[in-house]
Amino acid sequence: MEFLSLLDLTFFLLAALGALVGIVFGAIPGMTATMAVAVCLPLTYALGLNHGLALLLGLYVGGISGGMVPAILINIPGTPSSITTTFDGYPMAQKGEGEKALRVSVIASVVGGLISAAVLFFFAPMLADFSIKFSYVEKFLIILLALSVIASLSSNMLVGIFSGVIGIWLSLVGVYSTSDGGNGKTRLMFDFMEPYLFEGFSLLPVLIGIFGISTILLEAEKGVKNELSGERVKLGKGGSGFSMSIFKGRLTNLVRSSFIGTFVGMLPGVGGSAASVLAYTQEKNLSKDSSEMGKGAPQGLIASESANNALTGGALIPLLSLGIPGDSTTAVLIGAFTLQGIQVGPLFIPENVDTWYVMMTALIFANIVMFFLMFYAIKHIAKVVMVPKHLLFPIIVMMCVVGAYAINYGIMFDVWTLLIFGVLGYVIQKVGLEVAPLIIGFILGSQAEVYFVKSLESAGTFSIFFTKSPIAVVLWILIIASVVFSILMGLKRRKVSREEASQ
Amino acid sequence: MESGLSSLLSISIDFGTSHLFFPMIIHWVLALLFLAVLVTKTIPFLAAVKRGERTLPIIGESMDGFRFFGTLALMVAYFYLMAFVGNIFPYTGYGFLFVSMVFVLLMALMYMHEWTKKAVTTAVITAIVAPSVAWFVLAKLFKITLP
Repeated sequence: MEFLSLLDLTFFLLAALGALVGIVFGAIPGMTATMAVAVCLPLTYALGLNHGLALLLGLYVGGISGGMVPAILINIPGTPSSITTTFDGYPMAQKGEGEKALRVSVIASVVGGLISAAVLFFFAPMLADFSIKFSYVEKFLIILLALSVIASLSSNMLVGIFSGVIGIWLSLVGVYSTSDGGNGKTRLMFDFMEPYLFEGFSLLPVLIGIFGISTILLEAEKGVKNELSGERVKLGKGGSGFSMSIFKGRLTNLVRSSFIGTFVGMLPGVGGSAASVLAYTQEKNLSKDSSEMGKGAPQGLIASESANNALTGGALIPLLSLGIPGDSTTAVLIGAFTLQGIQVGPLFIPENVDTWYVMMTALIFANIVMFFLMFYAIKHIAKVVMVPKHLLFPIIVMMCVVGAYAINYGIMFDVWTLLIFGVLGYVIQKVGLEVAPLIIGFILGSQAEVYFVKSLESAGTFSIFFTKSPIAVVLWILIIASVVFSILMGLKRRKVSREEASQ
Repeated sequence: MESGLSSLLSISIDFGTSHLFFPMIIHWVLALLFLAVLVTKTIPFLAAVKRGERTLPIIGESMDGFRFFGTLALMVAYFYLMAFVGNIFPYTGYGFLFVSMVFVLLMALMYMHEWTKKAVTTAVITAIVAPSVAWFVLAKLFKITLP
């Protein structure tokens, strides 16, 4: 219980502030939890590790939850993971039950968040304990598995893999560092770039550019319209008709959706929309009274919101036990950890037990704050949806600049990196490549290189990747399974669309 | 047979060029994937474009050119001038503070669809207050380096 001495009032205030700012970001359509974390990173530079974590986890939880507000009130998902919340939330709001819908969603969210936090608490140390014995061979195969899972769950496997490998390529620019056992020579660039790119692209400017600047560019291209003009936010009149009896008989749904969310969160690179869509369709398939779903049934909200909040705990599991981010927001968190001098991976939990408990406290506290903020102050928060974008966007660009500039104590090239990757992120999304695999490829690329090359240097044969240990064999089976799964899904999808076309 | 296979798989990496070993593999993988994407995705897509069923991304789509290129131009000017002004007043963060004010105002005005008196006033106030607050909190309270 030594970690209790690390918690002070500031810690809890920062977690609460994070949750509030996160909710605001989540509630503004087009702004995501990832962006909230990226934009607020500069604030953590000056904070210590524990305080920084409190703020970031608050932002993460708040950002994922906030998406429900515009989803219910104006039929626009505030974050991609709230897409299924619109199916039932908006019809309820139209019937004048907006506040009731919000309250059901808030409760579902907090349950999802807490269940996934519990799974994280018990499962991450176990997984870390197991993976601690991994040699470079297994570590390389884990990264290969992560990338193949990402790719197989992308909308198109080939495009997913291609995006991931581009990310790896980008991560290799710069020096093959001697601290990793490399020879200290640079590659993939021209000599004149060496002063800027010797260490390659810095992680955080890349992330902030891809998630912050490119979002602004995508919106600018559409003309920065305020979709909300003329829309009336329908909260419903007082005495919203909400009571806990709505949850009667919905416990299975709640728990099942939370576990689905946690599990999907664990899969690397799979975004929140997959979790909530899966939970929603499961409820539709398994529930006895699913006929009302899509017309304003609270059970749809329960499935969607508990699943998307359960992502938070789930996505932190591979991050903290294997060093592999579960989604784009945890990818940004990796950057924040590196900044604080912490290497996430199998050794993280055993070597930083106090930090681990502090994180869990922050995560649970953020969920509770989120609940109270949203349950009681929802009417006021709902108004943020109306903040005009022409005021918001310049401020976001400004914060992105601060984040990029200050990260390495004032390097202007990092600000230009922001722009380079902002434009790159824009082009990537325009031509149909996928951002999440690319980012994860970028984060894991340089490690993959070290593990791969070192394994070969010590063994002298490619067969080491198959014969090293039983775990290696199991990992290969999983890799093949994820590829086969994706091919089968692709065939099934093709069959369905062909049948639809013939009808 | 056994020895043939193992000699096929055996590899020795020269330390002097080991920085190029993994990138070379990645280049081959990228090239193969690019070919595969080209054949399965890009060529059918371009054929659909030719038939008029789809449009090319970015070039073929309707876009708000003024706001898009305006954003890019403003950002380049913002980044460049920030460093420039920052060098005139080193270690103060004034480059960030003053150039941000101008940038926030211009970008807000550019994104605004109807220039009403009220909207312009809020934009001006935001442009003065937001960078000041950010500058004060980050540069003064937290001692973070700003241009």
